[in-house]
Amino acid sequence: MSDSARSRLFVAEDTAASLIGLVILVLALAVTWQARPGEQADSRQLFPKGWPTPLAATIDRPQAWSDAPLQSFRDKKGFSIVGPILLGMGWVVLVGAAGARLGGATLRRFLPGGIALAGLGGVAWFLAAQTLIHAFNLEYPLWALAIGLLIGNTVGVPRWLASALNGEFLIKTGLVIFGAEVLVSRLLELGLPGLMTSWLVTPVVLVASYWAGVHILRIPSRSLCMVVSADMSVCGVSAAIATAAACRAKKEELSLAIGLSLFFTVIMMVAMPPFIAWSGMDPIVGGAWLGGTIDATGAVVAAGESLGPEAGQVAATVKMIQNSMIGLIAFAVAVYWTGWVDRTGHASPGSLGAEVWRRFPRFILGFLFASLACSWLFSSGPAQALWVDGAITGFTSRLRGWLFCVGFVCMGLQTNFRELAPALVSGRPLLLYVGGQLLNLVLTLAMASLTFGWLFRKVVEP
Amino acid sequence: MMRTHGARRLAAAFILVTLLWGGVFPRLMRWGPLARHIELMDRREVNVAAMYYTELERLPLRPLWFEQRVLLWPDGRAGMASSSGRE
Repeated sequence: MSDSARSRLFVAEDTAASLIGLVILVLALAVTWQARPGEQADSRQLFPKGWPTPLAATIDRPQAWSDAPLQSFRDKKGFSIVGPILLGMGWVVLVGAAGARLGGATLRRFLPGGIALAGLGGVAWFLAAQTLIHAFNLEYPLWALAIGLLIGNTVGVPRWLASALNGEFLIKTGLVIFGAEVLVSRLLELGLPGLMTSWLVTPVVLVASYWAGVHILRIPSRSLCMVVSADMSVCGVSAAIATAAACRAKKEELSLAIGLSLFFTVIMMVAMPPFIAWSGMDPIVGGAWLGGTIDATGAVVAAGESLGPEAGQVAATVKMIQNSMIGLIAFAVAVYWTGWVDRTGHASPGSLGAEVWRRFPRFILGFLFASLACSWLFSSGPAQALWVDGAITGFTSRLRGWLFCVGFVCMGLQTNFRELAPALVSGRPLLLYVGGQLLNLVLTLAMASLTFGWLFRKVVEP
Repeated sequence: MMRTHGARRLAAAFILVTLLWGGVFPRLMRWGPLARHIELMDRREVNVAAMYYTELERLPLRPLWFEQRVLLWPDGRAGMASSSGRE
């Protein structure tokens, strides 16, 4: 395929992902608005996770189970959720079918494989829901990738399944929907100390570790350096997915970055709270340190809560501020990549803007638009904040999870173990992650101590 | 021949997963430190597997005790966050 033909294909796929993602967001907001509560619609106490949305009944995923696997198909009240799980798969098939149709494929060719992939996604959710796995943050992307890798590297991918493999499209659509969760307005939650801890250290660590990966460790793939640096410095898997899409990293590179992130998340989640308790650190400073360093949000809260509720709340909020950096970082990475790293050789020096625009991954614009529009709506008033929160927590966040999950199954199916081997054997991505994380730990501790422990500390003690 | 070999490996992996998820993990999670960690997370309603803050059981909202102990904005704009929770 020629470069221009490939470029046209990218644009078509990105545009389709943006369109479908934005249509889903509008649908979620419209349905949630239609079903808005008649009284006390602006009460956060009454609706802690936003207004309830009827769409929540159309999507769910297997729940935590201990030793009886069938527990997974019941909610906390004991009601069956088989229907919503099947409907969740249906949403993925619907999105995949729309993408296939817009891409020129026939539904007859897509549907058998699409349904099977959604089923494999369900298996990944089920494995991730086992209580022990769940309690140590071994998230669904790991199992989705593992399932795909296992099938793809043993029996191979049959032709009927191969025709439905559109993992990149599902992940891009998931990212556009994900934009609604990246609420810039939430940045103000922890005030200046939170902003300084999250926003000063994170870019420094991201840039320093990327630079060290390229120039000191001399890792041949710049996109691998970027994805590992982003997942380590920002917020784990979600940042890895967003930056990998922005710099068009290989599937193998994203898989490796996710594996590294999940492995070290478990270690840090277990090791950091006892160290903080042993050192006698203030829980507020300790919570901010956890929030700024541990990759995954759930693991941050778990580590914080094991120190105490105060540390848990601060850790969660610092992480939330860091979470909201994803949009800006994905945009910056996409501009840097299209303008400098991935620039075609024949481009004239004066055409940087045009070159960036020509090659810019369009779905990032959909992602940013969703983020800015929902941030604006969220900050319009307390009722609007509950409206956005309800649509997100009740529907779009769940659908985004399903799209990512099935997207990772597709990626696993298309990944060859042998292509992962050179990076694994060299050990350099591991060194990059460990070195970057050490820098992150030192800088975040210094900043958390400076801001939460001294500069912005009031004299009032509890 | 290759395909048969691959099918055997897939079947072996399936058996391993069944043994781990059906027998080993349920037993392992009853072991003291692991059981305590799981119980604490259950009690505090923490979704440890949350990839993003929107997947947490409770959205992280700024509590009142925090505002009393930390100077959020030097010029007194403490109330500007739109969704702060008062606990």
